[in-house]
Amino acid sequence: MSLTSKLKEAWIGLSAGTVTLPYPLAPHPPGPGFRGRPVFDAARCIGCGGCASNCPAREILIYDPCQELRVIRYLGRRCTSCGRCAEVCPEKAITMSEAFELATDRLSDLEQRLTLFMGSCQRCGRCFAAPTPLDALKLTGYRVDDLEAGRWVCASRSAPPGEPAADVEIEL
Amino acid sequence: MSAERLSAALLVVLGALANVALVLLSAPFFQGVQRRLTARVQSRRGPPLLQPYFDLLKLLGKEDLESGEAPGVQRVAAYLALASILATACLVPLGFPAPLGSAGDVLLLLYLLLLSGVCTLLAGAAAGSTFSWVGVSREMMSMMVLEPILAVALCVGAVHARSFRLEAVLDGSPWLSGAPVSGGLMLVVMLLAFQAFAGRVPFDVAEAETEIMDGPLSEYSGQKLALFRLAQMVKLVVYAALFVGLFVPWGSGWPFPLGFLFFWAKAFSLVVLVALVAATHARYRVDQAIRRYSVLLAFSLGAVVLAALGR
Amino acid sequence: MLKALCRRMMSRSCWVYHANSGGCNGCDIEVLNVLTPYYDAERFGVKLVASPRHADAMLCQGPALRSTAQALRRAYEAMPAPKLVIAIGSCAGGGGAWFDSYAVMGGVEKVLPVDFFVPGCPPRPEAILHGVAVALGILGKSVSPRPPLVQPAFPFPRYHTDGEPPAGEPASGAAPAAPTTPR
Repeated sequence: MSLTSKLKEAWIGLSAGTVTLPYPLAPHPPGPGFRGRPVFDAARCIGCGGCASNCPAREILIYDPCQELRVIRYLGRRCTSCGRCAEVCPEKAITMSEAFELATDRLSDLEQRLTLFMGSCQRCGRCFAAPTPLDALKLTGYRVDDLEAGRWVCASRSAPPGEPAADVEIEL
Repeated sequence: MSAERLSAALLVVLGALANVALVLLSAPFFQGVQRRLTARVQSRRGPPLLQPYFDLLKLLGKEDLESGEAPGVQRVAAYLALASILATACLVPLGFPAPLGSAGDVLLLLYLLLLSGVCTLLAGAAAGSTFSWVGVSREMMSMMVLEPILAVALCVGAVHARSFRLEAVLDGSPWLSGAPVSGGLMLVVMLLAFQAFAGRVPFDVAEAETEIMDGPLSEYSGQKLALFRLAQMVKLVVYAALFVGLFVPWGSGWPFPLGFLFFWAKAFSLVVLVALVAATHARYRVDQAIRRYSVLLAFSLGAVVLAALGR
Repeated sequence: MLKALCRRMMSRSCWVYHANSGGCNGCDIEVLNVLTPYYDAERFGVKLVASPRHADAMLCQGPALRSTAQALRRAYEAMPAPKLVIAIGSCAGGGGAWFDSYAVMGGVEKVLPVDFFVPGCPPRPEAILHGVAVALGILGKSVSPRPPLVQPAFPFPRYHTDGEPPAGEPASGAAPAAPTTPR
């Protein structure tokens, strides 16, 4: 390496100035189409559970304490911002925001929890056989994910948890 | 003891303390300038100029894990590294005559500088991990070829000045003959080897950060690491002062504020040159580096022969 | 007094050790991006060091695998106190999309005590820089706990009710499990 080439290299570097972004002191918004954290809108959510069934990291957990209530918990720690939940939501209740400054020392800051009031089926509560395979994916019935431990339980029950899982009788 | 001997001794002690304080306070600032300049060459903003002071203060507040196979020897190596380089600083003129300049001669200077190199070897050997041993072997190989270059440079000066005394040698002695051929040759050799003495890229094979995890220093933490880092910074300043004293003495003899400032301006420009070279080069492999040092050693031996012949 | 000064200097000069315990290297690349001129972490005094013994903060990336858990723990114990652990990415934060795999023990907090999480897959270099700034106390957090969203209970007309009150009041009570037989 000759001396002149090194001098030229130093000169190029110095004359470029500083290209450092003033980032933490000035905002630097991401480009269009950036997927940050998903935001859940409780007013639009119908509680179908499609987001939970589709999340690849099993971040969205659903628990039904009783017939009229469904609790959806989004943990936020393992979320990869893939956007599958927003894509599959039939009511467009989930939007992928552009928020990426998510550093925190407590994981509960990242959580979103929705408590939804569910209407009950007129005839037999909520246990009905899935009419199509697509509906079967939505795991109808009482969902019993372990919210406190953050554990996905891929099952549903025909009766609320705590009750014996007997099929309900329908009398006409 | 008579009054004037007592006052002379007191003056020497104060002068030594002044030298030590001067190098201790200026060395981190020089490194801050180097880091900032490296950052600017890489087109980024870089740390604040006082960053090495913050680094050293932070290291002083960390827990000192006595890891490594021989913690006692590690402690001795850390203290000795800083102590030997500070003792060298008392022997070198830093813009005013060295306080302990008449306490020793060129050979003492050489041995003290060698001691600070040996402390790195001790540190690596005491740590005992594989990376430290690799660092130790590389440092040993480099020292075996580099210390002779330094010795030969001082010898060229000594041959021209016809004495080994520090005040005579460290005062531009290679230029004392009529035709400054050996002086010029030795200047070029020392400039090319200075990067290796300073222990910076492209010649920092012994302490290759990304390759061998900081080599000999990989098992140090906390206060002892701060001592070693400070010793490295002070080493650069002392070597710069030596270089300026040997080869660029003009202007250092001026009356007090001017000569002092001019000396430090020269040393500062040498430090800036080191930073520029470090920012534009990649690290050499150990065999490439040793080959280069051997070529420089051959030229420096040629220079001392020329000096002996009076050129 | 000197000790207080030294503790204060921890936020001015933080030396980081980067530990990837089994990730896909996406977060690795973003962490190295933070050290490039565009995002320049060195202006905050953050330097990458090669040995955990020199480091103050450990940037963990990748989930804690069964094979690398011991090495990760040893690297953590090699760091001198006071130290910080920052878990970067969704894998370090909880195992990512592979949290139930046979090789993955979970997030890094199964092995080390984590102080800060920077979620994302991978988090942008700005997000990592923000995380490091939050950890050093230069900036405050940008996320806060969202209050739980509760859909208001509105009365649904219930057919065949047997004269029972409309299903509006029991927000947390037990509801009848079996439907009432129609009259």
